[in-house]
Amino acid sequence: MSLPYATEEPSVVQGHVVHEEHEGLPGTIGHVSSWKSLVKVLSALIFLTVLTVAVAQLDLGRLNVVGALGIACVKASIVALWFMHLRYDKRFNFWIFISSVAFVAWMVGYILFDSTLYQHNIKEYRETHEITAPKIHEHDGGEGHESGE
Amino acid sequence: MSTSVAEQETSQEALPQRPKQLAMHFDTLHQQFTTGKLAMWLFLGQELLFFTGLFTAYAVYRGNHQEMFHYAHYFLDWKLGAANTIVLLTSSLTAAWSVRCAQLEQRKGLLITLALTFLCAGAFMCIKYIEYTHKIHIGAVWGSNFGVPLNEFPEHLREKYPDLTPEQLQQMGTGSFFAIYFCMTGLHGIHVLVGMALYVWLFIRALRGSFNRKYYGAVDNIALYWHIVDIIWIFLFPLLYLIG
Repeated sequence: MSLPYATEEPSVVQGHVVHEEHEGLPGTIGHVSSWKSLVKVLSALIFLTVLTVAVAQLDLGRLNVVGALGIACVKASIVALWFMHLRYDKRFNFWIFISSVAFVAWMVGYILFDSTLYQHNIKEYRETHEITAPKIHEHDGGEGHESGE
Repeated sequence: MSTSVAEQETSQEALPQRPKQLAMHFDTLHQQFTTGKLAMWLFLGQELLFFTGLFTAYAVYRGNHQEMFHYAHYFLDWKLGAANTIVLLTSSLTAAWSVRCAQLEQRKGLLITLALTFLCAGAFMCIKYIEYTHKIHIGAVWGSNFGVPLNEFPEHLREKYPDLTPEQLQQMGTGSFFAIYFCMTGLHGIHVLVGMALYVWLFIRALRGSFNRKYYGAVDNIALYWHIVDIIWIFLFPLLYLIG
């Protein structure tokens, strides 16, 4: 009778034994991470945190954001692939995660396009009208910048 | 029905012993485990989108008020933020280790790693508490409530922009930066608190010896949740504390 539970044999790759400790009791569900790999992942993450702080001290203009977000993406990928076992997990879970990230990018991207689209109108309006910040009730607003009329 | 009691008993004896943790609607523990994990991943995908609403608010406001964001970030102490990052990353390690202990049926190790994860989460919340109380004390709060007197300006801000006045900061709408700051870190903090409660629950179950190599889905899925909370913070830290 075949076992009803999937027993993985992760330590044998192409005929020879990988030099990771052969771990996992017989019949264990899922991939068992070695404690060494977990510690390595943590050290990489801490190194990248230090790097983020170091990069932030430099003045690179717009590149600062790119650098900070780039490092954050690398860190997030490391967490997802090793700590969250996505490297060893079912592919389907991986694609759920990736599709969610794709929608995140889509959502932020599209809204950002839109949010900067009308900035020149606002700027134009500011230049032709005197605005002081605390005033809220202005009745002449809304007509001055409408083109076409 | 026509089947007698005796017949039912014999047909049940013929079946292999059903593990007691196996819910009736699953065939095997493996199936139960992968189903739970699939559901968890769907939930986590949703969590990412949930937080993205706030990240988008951040991006739009920052895109349109770059100067204000620059001034406002001086009010956050990056050292506390970095400390929190390290604490949370460490708790991610212990969370991942707890899964390993559950898989290897190391009861003592499981209890230790679960407790350590809880303690790191607690340390994170303590540091957050220090940050929040300081901000509320000096008046660096949300919306039109924002009003920090000149003597409470951070040293670096005063050195770099000696002409900046509290009124200017207020007019620039610095309050909206702090609205975003409190919403993002607050929502994240709520997630940490939920995580802490879940780790208490796991600890109690582990004490009772509920988990084994074929039944540890709760430990694994809560660790996955915990890692997502960590990933969110990985983005919050540079975006809020380190923007130049």
